[in-house]
Order: sequence, then C-alpha cells, then structure tokens
Amino acid sequence: MLKSFAKKSMAALAVSGAALAGTMTAAQAEYPEKPITMVIPLGAGGSHDLNARVITSIIPTYLNQAMIVRLTPGAGGQKGTQEVANTPADGYTLLFTHNYIDQLQQHVENLPYEPLEDFVTVARVNYAPIAVTVRADSPYETFADLVAASKENPGGVQMAHSGNWGALFVPAAQMMKALDMSWNLVPYQGGGPALQALLSGDADVTMGFPSSLASHVEAGKVRILATAGAERIYDDVPTFAEVGVEGDVGFMHRVVLAPADTPADVLETLAAAFNELGGDKTFNRMMGRLGENIDIITGDDYDAMRKEQSVAYKDLVDALTSQ
Amino acid sequence: MFDLFTEGFAMAMRFDTMALMSIGLFAGMLVGSLPGFTTLMAMAILLPISFFMEPIVGIPFLLGIYKGGIFGGSVPAILISMPGTGAAVATSRDGYKLTQQGKSRKALDMALFSSVFGDTASDIFTIMMMFPIAYLVMQFGPPELFAVLLMSLVIIAATSGSNPLKSLIMMMLGLWLSFIGTDPLGGVERFTFGLFDLKSGIPLLPMLIGVFALPEVASVVIRNEKSRKLADLVGERLTRLEFRRCLPTICRSTVIGTGIGIVPGLGQIVAAMMGYTAAKNASKHPETFGEGEIEGVAAAEAANNAVNGPTMVPLLTLGIPGDNVTAILLGAFVAQGLRPGPQLFEEQGATVFAILVAMVIANLLFLVIGYLSIPFFSKIVTIKTSILIPLVIMFAFAGTFVFRSDPTDLLILVAFGVFGIIAKAAKFDVMPMVMGFILGPSMEYAFGQTVAMSNSNLFGFFLTERLGALAVLLVAPVLGYLLWKRLYSSDSIA
Repeated sequence: MLKSFAKKSMAALAVSGAALAGTMTAAQAEYPEKPITMVIPLGAGGSHDLNARVITSIIPTYLNQAMIVRLTPGAGGQKGTQEVANTPADGYTLLFTHNYIDQLQQHVENLPYEPLEDFVTVARVNYAPIAVTVRADSPYETFADLVAASKENPGGVQMAHSGNWGALFVPAAQMMKALDMSWNLVPYQGGGPALQALLSGDADVTMGFPSSLASHVEAGKVRILATAGAERIYDDVPTFAEVGVEGDVGFMHRVVLAPADTPADVLETLAAAFNELGGDKTFNRMMGRLGENIDIITGDDYDAMRKEQSVAYKDLVDALTSQ
Repeated sequence: MFDLFTEGFAMAMRFDTMALMSIGLFAGMLVGSLPGFTTLMAMAILLPISFFMEPIVGIPFLLGIYKGGIFGGSVPAILISMPGTGAAVATSRDGYKLTQQGKSRKALDMALFSSVFGDTASDIFTIMMMFPIAYLVMQFGPPELFAVLLMSLVIIAATSGSNPLKSLIMMMLGLWLSFIGTDPLGGVERFTFGLFDLKSGIPLLPMLIGVFALPEVASVVIRNEKSRKLADLVGERLTRLEFRRCLPTICRSTVIGTGIGIVPGLGQIVAAMMGYTAAKNASKHPETFGEGEIEGVAAAEAANNAVNGPTMVPLLTLGIPGDNVTAILLGAFVAQGLRPGPQLFEEQGATVFAILVAMVIANLLFLVIGYLSIPFFSKIVTIKTSILIPLVIMFAFAGTFVFRSDPTDLLILVAFGVFGIIAKAAKFDVMPMVMGFILGPSMEYAFGQTVAMSNSNLFGFFLTERLGALAVLLVAPVLGYLLWKRLYSSDSIA
C-alpha cells in the first residue's frame, strides 16, 4: 500500500516535471507528449468538478502525462463545449460533459456546433441518478407535500438549478410537466451554488447527486424526497417511478468527448487509458468516497447511445415547448 | 474546540510541511511574476503531486504556491506596470510611479509587508471566527451580491479619476465590452458582429497588459530619455518609520479585505480597489495617490491578501468552494480522503485547524523568502531601456499568448495598447473601464438571478424580502456623490 503510494507519487512528480518542461520544448514523441486539458463547461464545486479532480489525479499513471482541468462555465455549458469544438482535434483538449449539454441543447436553440458531427466519445465514465432535495427544516416532509404545495401556489416554490436546460433544470421541467405543477426555476452557476442557495434559504428545493449530497444528508442538513429511476437508492425514499414520474428522467451520464476529427490512434490511446482507469483500485476507492459508481463505456458503444438520446430529447423538448 | 486547535497546531509544526511550503511559496512567486502564467495554472499542474503526500503536507504545499503567486503578481505590476491579474491593478497605480521615482525596492518591500500583515491578520481572524463567518456567508444571495457589486462600481467611478464624468464614461465602456460574447444567462450572442473569435468574449489578460503596460512602453520610447534607464536607482529599503506611517492604512485595508472575503463572489479585485479608495479618502493628501504614494501600495496589497482567510470558510464548513483556487483545494481534499462538507469539522477538526495554522506559518515563511528575493527582482529596472523595453514587449506578447494560445488575443492586446495610449493622451483613466469589464459579468448574472427569484416582481421582492440589498442600492449613489465631493472639492484637484 505504502509502496504503491510512493511509486505513484514518484510518477506524479515525474509527470508534473515533464508537464512543466513539455510546455517549453516541442520534442517529437508519441501522443501524449504534453499535458492534456480537460475542459469542464460547468462551474466550480459541482459533481463534475469533483469527479474530474479524481480522474485527473489517477489517469496520468496510464497516460504518462498530466491532465489539467479547466473550468469554463457559461451559457448553460455551451461556452466550454464550443471552445473545445473549435480547438485542434489533436487529443490535447477534451471535454468532460454530460448528456443534457451534449444531446438536449441542440433541440432547444441554435448551437454554434453540431454535437453528433463535431464530437466523438472518448469514454462514458459513470452515470448518476438525481435526487430531489429540501432543507432538513423544510415544511415538505414528503414528495407529496412538495407537490401539493406547488399545485396550491403555482410558481411559489423556488427551485435552484445549475443553468437553463442543465442537469437539474431538465428533470425539474419533466417533473413539472408529468405532475402538472409549476416551480419558479432560478439559475445558479453550477450545482454547488444551487446547493448553497438551498442551505441559505434562498431556494425551497433543489436537486443533487449523491456525491454532492452525501455529507449534507449525514450531517442532517438536507432531506431527500425522491430519487431517479425505478429502483430505490435509499430504503425510505421513494423513486421517481413511485411518485408518478415515469421514463428516463433524471439520469446524468458523465462523458469525456473529443473533437470529431481526432486521429483514431489518439482516441484508442485515450480509451485504453480510461479502461485501465476503470480497473484502478485507487480510482475505485476515491470514487467510492464520493458516492459515485464507475461504468466505463468507450468510443462507438456510447456514441450509439448518444444518437438514441438525441431522438428521445427531441421528443421531450417538442412536448415541453408545444403546450 | 481549543484542544482541537492545539492538536492541529502540533500537526502543522513539522519540518516536511514547512520545507514543502517554502518550495511552494518560492515556485508560486516565480510563476506569479511571469505575466500570462497564472497561479491557478501552477496549482492545477502541481495538484497531482499533493495527492500522494499526507494531507498536512500536500495542502500547505498548494497554499504556498497560491500565496507566493499573489505576491509574484504584484512584482511586474510595480516594476514594469504589467499587472498579470485584476488583483494587482490597484497596486500598479502607485507602485509603478514609485519605480519611476527610483523607489522600486521600497514599493516591493511595502507590498510584501502589507501582504503578509493583511493575510496573517485575516487568517487568525478566520481561525477564531470560523462559524460566525460561515453564518454570515449564508446571508449573501444574488440580490445582495448585485447590490454590493453595483455599489463597488459607483465608488470606483466616483473616486478613481479627476473627472467623475470621464470615469463614468470609461466604466460604461468597460461594462459594454463585458457584454460582448455569449450572454451568460440566455446563451444569446451579443455584439459579436458574427465574428467567431468574439463569441466567448474579450479575454481579460490582453486587456490588462494592453491598457496598463503598452502605454508606459510607448512613453519611455517617445521620451527617449537620456538616462537610458527606467530608474537610476532601486533605492533604499523600506524604513520602519514609513511602515509605521502606513500601519493605520494597512489595518483599515485588512478589515475591508476580510469583510469582502466573506461575501461570496467578490474577491481580491474588489478588495484591492476598495482598500485603495478608502485609504485615498481617509488621507489628508489624497492628491498624492496615483502619483507614487507608498500608502497606496500598502492599501491595495493588504486588502487583496486579507481576502484569503474568509474565502476558505465555505470550503471548510460546507464543502462548497468560493472560487477557482478553493476549487483546486477541494480536489486536493477529496483525493486525500478528507470529504469536505458539513461534517469535515466534526470528523477532521484537528486537520482543519492544522491547515489554517499552516496558512499563518506560510505567511511568516514568505516574509523571509520574499525579503531575500526582492533585491534580485528590483534590479530589473536598472537594466538599460534599450534592452529592457524589448524585453517588456516580449513579455507582453508572450504572456498574452501562453494564457490560452489564441493568436486573436495578440490582436486584442495591440488594440487595447493603442486604446490605452490614446486614453492616456486624452487624460481618460483606464482603471474604471477595466473594473467595469471585470465586475460587469458577475453583476449581470446576479441581476438575472434576482429577477428570476422575484418572479419578475423586482420592486416588491426587494421591498418585502431583501431590505438589506435594497438599502445598499439606495445608499450607493449617495455615497458615490459624497466621496466625489470630498475628494475633488475645489482645493484639492488631483
């Protein structure tokens, strides 16, 4: 254990040293010959940020290069996505995004990029079910309480989300439609600030993923009213299906994408590294601490899922905007 | 509580902690002093190293890089009028004038002492008042942030130039420039004229270097000075008497900076400007500010460093980072198995205190490291201008380019350089423009959130639920007017 730590720390030192040197010289070598930037089109402290910190701390062991996180929040994720879409497709700039930014937004507005044409999958890292959350001292003891209050006073319940058409906004909109109620949706710059708004009392309800919520639940600060999917995550908390929100609602796939013209051998190197990452013990342990699962799907397999998502989200947006 | 503190204190007192912290401080200072290389980049690159150290070694190492980097940023700001970050803008105002007067060493000494003082005082305050601060942080939502940002802009416009109308014009220009790009709330393109390069907005770094450094380069070239040196002397070190004269200012700035650190989303830039403005306003000779007043350097540096203590609080008590720097620390925490969140303190109270104690120790170590490094840095200005000026120009372009490797940024640099030269000739101060540009997007976002929160009934919302924010909004113009009258009354035209 200690030995492997010492080994890894040496590797990390070497990698970081090489990273600093790599920016100065342009030696001819195999990919990757300089640090790789992973752009997150979301704000600091959200679940993507936490996941990325763990990924980038372990993956240098398998890539022999540092991976640097760059947070580029803005325009519901479009700013960072667009930035990556327009970088050279050389494998040195990747995008760490999720299915809503990737496949839903294109049906809502005109994007400066075409998700399916401009990006290919490096790897789907994991997926997370969302949870509807209120403060521990909230009058809403159950999900039914929340629904009743929302119907009684349309728009009176303040819901903090992480940006329009983002990971918290979409399930909220789907839920409002399915249950015929209405919340006042207020944007924040990421899941972290949205949670802070709930804790400070600015918002009545928000949503979150296990990684961001676990310690707050244990500390008795927040209460979870329902979780996504058909299977219970917590024994005493109903699922979306049980409270009447059916279908593929509230699952977020965290996925690493690359610009579409990235050379095949580069994509293979990256995919191999991610597959090895999935089996790494330290990685599993750290992700476990965050309360996240690991389910690596690389390349074409997830690209097929992206096409299906695109069709499903088109139907959803049509249904939501045609009323 | 106290036994946790003593336990934490003992944990921090380790040789390897201090050794790595010193390395971090020195590395941070070097990186920070190169325009274009940000402290944040250095922290992100070196973050993985910290993962494989013990928490009480790895996290202080990162803190060292951070603290060294902040000071490093004021070195080019003082010596060649090239602030690499928004936080060093206020410092460069008097710092560069001091360099021209041959007092660069005094300016750097003052920057070091006031930084260390402001940081240390705010860290100790944070250790003692962690939970009250955590409570206060929660009182600030988007409406409060909007109100405080608006007030900051009013104060900056009212106090920064000789003519408040000119200042206002420049600030409006800065705000407009910040609109260029993609609207942060709605995702609509604004003022991009269909140009792709403008879609993600104008980057800050080329603007800073362009409007602050290039006009100074131009004026040295145009004057064609016979001395052929930026300054003949690096001058004396700071005397105890001068430090004592500035002590009230440093204390005031420390209080202001600590207070601003509590408000989520404000940060070092606002703190430096407010500390500087307050010092100017309290001074018996406000006309010397901007003309090489060492008190100005002290005011800005103490204030921007005093932000550091309180910004750690949301991270330590809630697990929610307030800015990019604390977000990187969050990553270090997670990888160390310290799960940030409301329970961190219960589970790892001693470690939390140890980290805070390490912050104080980092300051004291930096006092020594900085003091020993300053003589080498300050020699830069005694290089012949025929060599120094090309070097400065190279730094300006290289720094702009390494920031995000986009050639468009070089065009933007030149454009702002030309703009800065014209503005200087026309006696328009570029400071309000830069501040409007930096603070505009935060203010706009907070306003959009406020509108959403109010269900589009803004007036009723402020009146019934947000009286504090409303009060700030009402006081802002009055305060701005009073400050302007006081500073620019007929007998003291600056």
